[in-house]
Amino acid sequence: MTHTLHRRGPYESLINDFVLFAIPAQGFNEKGSIPKLTKFFDIVIKYDPVNFGDCGTGNKYGVGEKGIRENITESSVVHAVFTDEETMEKAMEEVKEADLGMSVIATGVLDAVDEIAKKVGIERHTIEHSLGIWGNTNLLPDEEILEITTMCGHGMISSNLTQLVISNVKKGTMTPEQAAKKIAPNCHCGVFNPERAAKIIERIVSEN
Amino acid sequence: MKIDESKCILCNQCIPYCPVEAIKEGEETCYIVEDECVECGICEKHAGCPVDAFYEGEMDELRKLRKAFSNPLVPHESTAVLGRGTEEMKTNEVTGRFKKGHVGIAVELGRPGIATRFYDVEKVTKKLASIGINKLEPCNPLKPLMKNEETGEIQEKYLNERVLSAIVEFDIDRERVPEALNAIKEVSKELETVFSLDLAGKLENDNTLPAAEIARDLGFDPSINGKTNLGLGRPKAKEGK
Repeated sequence: MTHTLHRRGPYESLINDFVLFAIPAQGFNEKGSIPKLTKFFDIVIKYDPVNFGDCGTGNKYGVGEKGIRENITESSVVHAVFTDEETMEKAMEEVKEADLGMSVIATGVLDAVDEIAKKVGIERHTIEHSLGIWGNTNLLPDEEILEITTMCGHGMISSNLTQLVISNVKKGTMTPEQAAKKIAPNCHCGVFNPERAAKIIERIVSEN
Repeated sequence: MKIDESKCILCNQCIPYCPVEAIKEGEETCYIVEDECVECGICEKHAGCPVDAFYEGEMDELRKLRKAFSNPLVPHESTAVLGRGTEEMKTNEVTGRFKKGHVGIAVELGRPGIATRFYDVEKVTKKLASIGINKLEPCNPLKPLMKNEETGEIQEKYLNERVLSAIVEFDIDRERVPEALNAIKEVSKELETVFSLDLAGKLENDNTLPAAEIARDLGFDPSINGKTNLGLGRPKAKEGK
């Protein structure tokens, strides 16, 4: 379930894209995890994430804050998306101080996450890189579309829908922000970054 | 998924929502090409059909299989884990799954957003099995589909089933990374679909992941972004190989 790993784009774009999430280890510490995951959610929500969600329940645009908070289970994976290092640092620091005992993952530019972790006194444990896309890559949409669609690692945001909303922005019937919010609900887990998507759409439209 | 043709008004609003282009415009209604549909459920949940024409209907074992590998809201019956793979590195400080000197590699077939059939998955499992990499993670939802894990064969009845993604994950000694990545590179040329490739590991005492350098030397390009397990989970796994 590497649903946040393969986000694509240049450094300048990825540096505004962080996901912080908590997950219990099934068979190890899921018993009694509901209050801990709820506390994690209460912490991250204070920092006004641009999206949030729980894979089994939904996201900011679907069930919303109350729906997520009230339906956290022992198999929940609770996410929040931030767009700058400062906010990520504050959220990470408070999560560390809360000492929840849940696994916490930070997705983003690895060096930036490392710097933030050091600042708040966390020593990284394990990291994961993407080694790119292989196979019959002729099937892929354009790279700029992938920059948007790969923000939902489960593939719930189709390239055709993404192209459609971009075309609407080009025609002037939608703003880039409206376009991003049109596709964001499809990403159940709430890891899609609508603010970054709007910027990418704006860039695509201005370049064409 | 199905479309109730007595309801569909051919507004075509749903068509772009389908990640695998299984919804087609017919003469009087839209319809779903059953063999292409991966049962991800995005059309029913998000396309905003004005007449509620989508319905799931009765599902046999194979349609349920498609759903389990495609709809992230549905946990796999065998693992209780949402999504296509396992917890992999996300809980590594607790499970101790990837120890120092070991590397996690995952081949995420069908991603991003293309889908895969299990005959392509089998090409990967067989290729890896041919070099002795054939121990799937116990919680990997592919495990119950295998005919023979030693050879990487998948049961015939599943081979043509299409799903949004299926993840072949394994844990190997760092020394085997070149052999594994080269085998993956080789088999990638035989696939109808795409895959996203992952490399994970516990950091060394100097805060580095030597396997990333090995991959770079082999011509791979480890991403600048990725996932970091912050090591905050408890109880902590015991160290050692």
